Amino acid sequence: MRRLLYALGLTGLAIVWVLPVVWMASTAVKPTPEIFALPPTWIPHQLTLEHVRVVLERWPFLRWFTNSVVISTSSTALSLVVSIPAAFAFARLKWWGRDVVFLIFLASMLIPLEVNVIPLYFLMNRLRLLNTYPSVFLPIAAMPIGVFLLRQFFLNIPQELDDAARVDGCGSFRILWHVILPLSRPALAAMGIYMFIFTWNEFFWSMIALQKPYMLTLSVGLRALQGAYDIDYGILMSGSTLAALPALVVYLFFQRSIIRGITMTSYR
Amino acid sequence: MVVFILPFLALWTLFRLGPVLYGIVISLSHWDPFGSTVFVGGLNYLRLLRDSRFWEALGNTFEFAILVVPLIVSLGLVFALLVHGAQHMRWARVVEAALFFPYLLTVSIVGLVWRWLFDPDFGIVLITAKQLGLRLPVFLNEPRWAIPAIAFATTWWLVGYRMVLFRAALEDIPVELYEAAQIDGARWYTMIFAITLPLLRPAILFAVVLTTISGFTAFGQVLIMTQGGPGRASEVLALYMYRIGFDYLEMGQAAAVGVVLFVVMLALTLLAFRWLGYGTEL
Repeated sequence: MRRLLYALGLTGLAIVWVLPVVWMASTAVKPTPEIFALPPTWIPHQLTLEHVRVVLERWPFLRWFTNSVVISTSSTALSLVVSIPAAFAFARLKWWGRDVVFLIFLASMLIPLEVNVIPLYFLMNRLRLLNTYPSVFLPIAAMPIGVFLLRQFFLNIPQELDDAARVDGCGSFRILWHVILPLSRPALAAMGIYMFIFTWNEFFWSMIALQKPYMLTLSVGLRALQGAYDIDYGILMSGSTLAALPALVVYLFFQRSIIRGITMTSYR
Repeated sequence: MVVFILPFLALWTLFRLGPVLYGIVISLSHWDPFGSTVFVGGLNYLRLLRDSRFWEALGNTFEFAILVVPLIVSLGLVFALLVHGAQHMRWARVVEAALFFPYLLTVSIVGLVWRWLFDPDFGIVLITAKQLGLRLPVFLNEPRWAIPAIAFATTWWLVGYRMVLFRAALEDIPVELYEAAQIDGARWYTMIFAITLPLLRPAILFAVVLTTISGFTAFGQVLIMTQGGPGRASEVLALYMYRIGFDYLEMGQAAAVGVVLFVVMLALTLLAFRWLGYGTEL
């Protein structure tokens, strides 16, 4: 009995928590008069894709989606490529100044990108990179979180494996490639998921770096739907629903790995 | 060694360390969009101190952080305990997934959805409240309620993330401790206060620091939900920095705001490291 109540309570909480998303989707597919109808209707009486059509016709929505995919993939790939060897150097190689350098990286890890938007704007302007994909993914890939996470994981791999490989004549590169990396798939996946989500959701810097209407990411582009006309909630909610759809679909399939990935990236 | 570290070091120096130093340089100069840049020393900081709008923004940021940090951390903890307590049920995973989902939405979706929910005329929140006979303030239109409303939306968005991290910390607590307590006849609330909370102390402290940092740099949800309004009642530091820089083109002064934020964030980070004894394990 108590277990049933507990489960019911939890379910109630979960339902309340997703209600805003349900309301968003419901508004997205209602005809405009019904959006403002009193009393409000949770399940639309009439379904329409009119707002969705307007969003896709008036704004380069699919292009924004592509931009988001390209930028997020690039930042994920680049950060993996540079963080893996760096983490290896911190976890497995001995060199002068290693601990000091790591401490500096660590201290910079929590400083958010937002703090640097003004100088980044000047820098990207000088590099002639404003309104290009790299202007967004380069600063994100430079975040030390991946180095930190992977180092932590590498440290837990027994040193004996390295030693054995060295006795067999392996150099550092081959140890990283043949010993460490095959054992680190969960950490690599976790970091990749984290970076992808982080980049996909980045807003402040992307909004400054990308100004041309079709260089925008989904996150920034949604704001443009708001500005152009009076507040048209049908359009705003269709845009939001369309933008949320990929996340929802991916989440339905990979829910466990996403939550596990996010958990692994925490520096408890 | 150098080959391994160099790619990351180059990227980090150019796009993380570089901008911090560059930001200090910009903050010490006057930048003319059509002319040259002149070194002006601490003038921008002086102007910042004299700008009442800066102090308002600072106050608003504090108000936002004071609301959002306890809300996210305590609710995150409660949710984690609730889900953890039901972990033998398969259903708990579905609940956890639902509570976590908002975190995957981009900030502009969160802002737009909550703007719609809180809409003064047709928002479902106010309509439902009226149906229930409650008189709620018109959140986004009232200076006093704009920031609390944004803080609430932010909590909805981020609490799942905190929950998931606390859940992981809960799983690290040895089950034997609870079993021993149970044998001694302890009730669930005693166990929470005598075992769970003390052992979660580092995780909680860290959550406080991280949430404070993200609270201090909140931007997107504010921009979309209220544009800093009504008036400037919800203009937070990041929004102030953006407007000073890109609307008024006072880049020097905007960079100075960035430097101030940087110093605060760095201080918070170092404080957290001290509390948690990071750096000593190195």
